[in-house]
Amino acid sequence: MTRTIGRALPPLLFGVLALAGWELFVKLGRVAPFILPAPSAIWTELVEQRGNVWDAALASGRNALIGLIGGALVAILAALAAGRFRALGEISVPFAAVFNALPIIALAPILNNMFESTSSVPRRLVTGIVVFFPVFLNTLRGLREVDPVHQELMRTYAASGWTFAVKVRLPGALPHLFTGLRQASSLAVIAAVVAEYFGGLQDGLGSRITSAAAFTAYPRAWAFVVGACLLGLAFYLVTLLVERLAMPWRERLIA
Amino acid sequence: MSAVEIKSVVKVFNQGRADEVLALSDVDLTVGVGEFVSLIGPSGCGKSTLLRLIADLIPATTGTVTVAGKPAGQARREQAYGLAFQQAGLFEWRTVRRNVELPLELRGIGRAERRARAEEMLALVGLAEFAGHYPGQLSGGMQQRVAIARALAVQPPLLLMDEPFGALDEMTRERLQSELLSICAKTGTSTVFVTHSISEAVFLSDRVVVMSARPGRITAAIEVGLPSRDEAARQSPAFFDRITEVRRALRGAPLASEATN
Repeated sequence: MTRTIGRALPPLLFGVLALAGWELFVKLGRVAPFILPAPSAIWTELVEQRGNVWDAALASGRNALIGLIGGALVAILAALAAGRFRALGEISVPFAAVFNALPIIALAPILNNMFESTSSVPRRLVTGIVVFFPVFLNTLRGLREVDPVHQELMRTYAASGWTFAVKVRLPGALPHLFTGLRQASSLAVIAAVVAEYFGGLQDGLGSRITSAAAFTAYPRAWAFVVGACLLGLAFYLVTLLVERLAMPWRERLIA
Repeated sequence: MSAVEIKSVVKVFNQGRADEVLALSDVDLTVGVGEFVSLIGPSGCGKSTLLRLIADLIPATTGTVTVAGKPAGQARREQAYGLAFQQAGLFEWRTVRRNVELPLELRGIGRAERRARAEEMLALVGLAEFAGHYPGQLSGGMQQRVAIARALAVQPPLLLMDEPFGALDEMTRERLQSELLSICAKTGTSTVFVTHSISEAVFLSDRVVVMSARPGRITAAIEVGLPSRDEAARQSPAFFDRITEVRRALRGAPLASEATN
């Protein structure tokens, strides 16, 4: 317990000092609030708007979660297929790279026009696409890195390709899969928020940030940014927790 | 019927290419039921290749490999042998017990029987109380014992081992040697054991098969015939006589191959 406190103390102290420095910089430097509001002003707004921040975070969080799960599932299945059939693997990696290079900023307005304005589908699609690449690539790498001893052993057990994939390849790829998921979890929230900047249904954090900024309510915009930050952090931490539960043989949380 | 029968086996790697290697040239070897045979020789002599041929992990170029009266491929599919390597090769995401259960699982044996058999094998290698641990929590010697328990789990009539104690310290190695001998005696398992160590080969084996490199072939077979195999045997004159005999047989290999190793 004392060790946990000892390890948590330095970053906590640093965070408090940074906030105090920020506050002093804004107050003493008479920085205009539209350039940078003071943390105290943002905090006041956050407390005042907590209901709205919570609702918007729930809406964005739901989109991010659905996109994350959907994108990750498709990525894992695609990686399994690409790992199983060598030819497919060789074709799929450049395609996945093209997919990844696709800027979601360019994609979001187009997708928004493809669906009704009350639909959440475009935002979820954008999230799913963003999530796909890191999960696919990391999982595929994990699936390909099979210990040659394991390979020979499974051959002596006369195991079929499918048994081998499920009992050896997939569990062996889990550490890589979760590396991809960890990256994807934060990306999912960013994608779900940013996608709202380009129209579509306006009930999430992204639209709240743009509308607050449009009304020059900068501390309020920042309060929603803090909400987005906390949402991203929550996604990341939950992913870490799932990782821990899925791989009980790993002693440390981050290997 | 013998446990293993190898008849005029030739193994060529990369056949027909510029980097073609004659790994084994005209090898004949018979391992009797319940017999413990060691393969020893300089690196590159093809002893591991020979073991992999018996295990049907690689095919012979010409010649036949028969395990328990069946072609090697059929024997593999029927899991007629257990295999252990220098690396324990445990599955880190499975507990010790479930690692030992894996070959049984793939044979379609029911949960209760699997569990009972795994516990029995773990008790045999002295790791009963570590059944619930993950491999990462065990020492190298313990992991190797789990690998041996796993190789024994299907109660195979034949055990194939490729330097299973190679990565262990001397004390652990000697203890595991004694354990292996008592297990083989108890279960009546035939064993083919690849090793670099002369004393290990002599202590464990009924017969030591000496091989030489380039091309890999059998140059001598030495019957050991120690009266007993306990700690006293390691100090006995008969033990040292056999060691000298094996060493001579190894030296007798053509000078050219010694110079390149």
